[in-house]
Amino acid sequence: MHISMSILADQFALNFSYLWLIVIGTTIGIIIGAMPGFGAANTIILLLPFTLAVHVDVALIFMISLFVASHMGGGITSILLNIPGNGGAAATCLDGYPMARKGLGQQALVLSFVSSTVGGMVTAGLSIFLLPYISRLAYYMHSVEMVVVLLFGITLIASVASDNMLKGLIAGFLGLLIGAIGADHIYSTPRATFGFIELYDGVPLIAVLIGVFAISEALTMMESSSVLSDKGRELMKQAGWKETWEGVQMAFARTWHMIWTSLVGLVIGIIPGAGASIAAFVAYQQSRLFSKTPEKYGTGIPEGVIAPESANNGCSSGDLIPLLVIGVPGGTTAAVMLIVLTYHGVQLGPRLFIQNPGMGYGVFVTMMVAYAVMLFTTLPLTRYVSRLVLIPTTVLAPIIIAFTLVGAFAPRGYMFDLWLTLVFGVIGYLCRRTGYNVVAVLIGVILGPMLEANVMRALRISGDDPLVFFSSPVGNVLWVALACSLLIPSFAKWRRNRAALASA
Amino acid sequence: MKLSLNRRHFMLSGAAALGAAASPGLLSSSARAAGDFPDKPMQVLVPTGEGGGVDQAARAFDRVWAKYLGANFEYSYFPGASGQVGYEVFISKREPNAYNILFGNIGPEMIMYATQNVHYKYPEDFVYIGSMDVDDSVIWVAADSKFKTIQDLVEEGKKREITLSTSRLPHPSTIGVLALAEATGMKVRMIPYGGGGPARSAAITGEVDGCATFLSTSLGLGDQIRFLTVFNNKNSAPKLTNDAPPVNQVFGTKIPPMSGQRAIAIHTKAVKEYPDRVKKLTDTMQKVFTDPEYKEIAEKAGTPWEFIQYGDAASCDESAKEFIALAGRYRSLLTASK
Repeated sequence: MHISMSILADQFALNFSYLWLIVIGTTIGIIIGAMPGFGAANTIILLLPFTLAVHVDVALIFMISLFVASHMGGGITSILLNIPGNGGAAATCLDGYPMARKGLGQQALVLSFVSSTVGGMVTAGLSIFLLPYISRLAYYMHSVEMVVVLLFGITLIASVASDNMLKGLIAGFLGLLIGAIGADHIYSTPRATFGFIELYDGVPLIAVLIGVFAISEALTMMESSSVLSDKGRELMKQAGWKETWEGVQMAFARTWHMIWTSLVGLVIGIIPGAGASIAAFVAYQQSRLFSKTPEKYGTGIPEGVIAPESANNGCSSGDLIPLLVIGVPGGTTAAVMLIVLTYHGVQLGPRLFIQNPGMGYGVFVTMMVAYAVMLFTTLPLTRYVSRLVLIPTTVLAPIIIAFTLVGAFAPRGYMFDLWLTLVFGVIGYLCRRTGYNVVAVLIGVILGPMLEANVMRALRISGDDPLVFFSSPVGNVLWVALACSLLIPSFAKWRRNRAALASA
Repeated sequence: MKLSLNRRHFMLSGAAALGAAASPGLLSSSARAAGDFPDKPMQVLVPTGEGGGVDQAARAFDRVWAKYLGANFEYSYFPGASGQVGYEVFISKREPNAYNILFGNIGPEMIMYATQNVHYKYPEDFVYIGSMDVDDSVIWVAADSKFKTIQDLVEEGKKREITLSTSRLPHPSTIGVLALAEATGMKVRMIPYGGGGPARSAAITGEVDGCATFLSTSLGLGDQIRFLTVFNNKNSAPKLTNDAPPVNQVFGTKIPPMSGQRAIAIHTKAVKEYPDRVKKLTDTMQKVFTDPEYKEIAEKAGTPWEFIQYGDAASCDESAKEFIALAGRYRSLLTASK
């Protein structure tokens, strides 16, 4: 796995000759990324007749462009409508939507696009030069280590619910319970499925995502005439190119923040089975932990948009590394790409970098070019897209409900999923009205099944010995880090109080 | 719940149309003139995930089958509960009209049928009309593993419990390993990872001692792995598997072949009500095996030609019943029930 500059130059030249294709791929990717229920995997499946028919370079450039753009597009609706386009964009709602309500939707969108681009480009660049080293991470991150990483994400429940801890924990545990529905991970024994075969594979995430966020948000929207506050409405009406530039400045004033949170995404993306949703939540949790003003998270601050978006896009390089280096897909989109590459006779795994290093490294070059292209195509649009929030809620809410219900139906084609989405819509609405945090519910639903699968697997490997969770050096380091991340906020608060008392 | 026309199908039809456009001449005029059936695309249900071994094999086969059948294929995926979700959906929600077919794998899915609480019956609700390959179960370890031979692994297994990853517990390779353990006194623990990809990854990265799976899905891993044994009486691809010996040859055991057969299932009701349609399906299916294009496509999809082998409905039925019997024998080890 040695990279030469001539290979890189060739790959950049190849990608520039296919710029038109990258523009098409990224445009499709951003649109499907922003639509709940649609994603890169099912779009690539739909377009298999195209990718199988064209030259492998064309197919690969198209698929990679679409894949990275879908990561970027998910944040648009999170910010403007509080409706994440996919699981990876769920954490973006936490600060993106409050920014939009304050009339800073345009800046938030710019922050999202810039941090996605920086995160995506930095991690793709690192992947090119450090591939032999970072691909080894998969050798150290097994079920035990994954349990601790997932616990990092789950502790975010306590953070997002800090205004009412009891209700937040109840919401989080409700999410975990919902996440436990379905066949168990070892023996496939169905649990709490109420006899519905549609629940055997677990509660579909998209139904929860659309129900708890989109439907309940639409119902809440209808209670007022506008998504925006009065002040926000005035700000939004005056918005112009200045706000776009302001967003760019906001982002680059936090360049290091974009970089380190994207690295969180890269590392988590490399772990087989982990994905953008866990990466975004963990990055948000870490960003809040190291912030001097953690209490401002959730109120609409730039860091709260940057962290999940950088990580979400940093994850896109990580997601493909197991496929390229080991030849084993780390997620569904990678699995579908495997079909195309295998059909074209591409040998993945270590041999790829010996026989065809240009193609192996070319994946990351395409990512870099695609992110650069997207920055130029998306930034000018923020001024117009952000005006979506000016639409009166009497028009916006029914459109949201209609479109997102299509999204709930599309992935599996079950009428059952539509009803389930509406049920979760009512649950989400009741949660909002009674002060139970819906993000806490979602964290439980997304991370709960992954946590359970890894706990069960680690126990089974060890012969049901609970001490297995403390048996690995990497795992133990992570445990210490987790303990510190739980204790540091309390310690910092205690110090602040003591300093305040001393000065009084 | 009837799903005769929905957005998903509309979109998939669009993809199929695009496919036809991208591959001019895919459907020959002679095939179209062969009869009224099929006069619309075939609906393929895959009970495992997108991009998995079955998906790849199905797409390779159907690409050539389309020429003889005169129809395109649209795919839907219903993974979950070791394939149970797909079969349940197929039986209860798909019309038995011979347009709806299921592309599955007889071995794992009949073991699942025998060990899980399913709501359908074999052969009353569905039958297999033909299979297209024989894929043997194997045990392999990472290339840097200390286990050089299957004897090394078994010897170690007598001292401590060996861990082997598998995609799902109801799998022929699981039964093969359990039978080997029973015969040799080796202690082994099967670790299901919910998919072939994660199972292979776990063995390569050293979370478990090795992997028990089908041969074809592991061939792409190249020199990252070392095959230790094959669960059949003969190793059908010695050059691709570092000449790993058949398990019975090493230990003198009589473990039956633990092979998967990717096969096409159809509603039993469709066989009774539309015998002419089913005949056309089976007749055209057989033609695929003599088409040189299929050899090329199957190998591109990762299945060595040595594994490609047509099996008729009777042989599929025989294989299905054998796996039901085997699963019954090891039921307590494959399920949560004690």
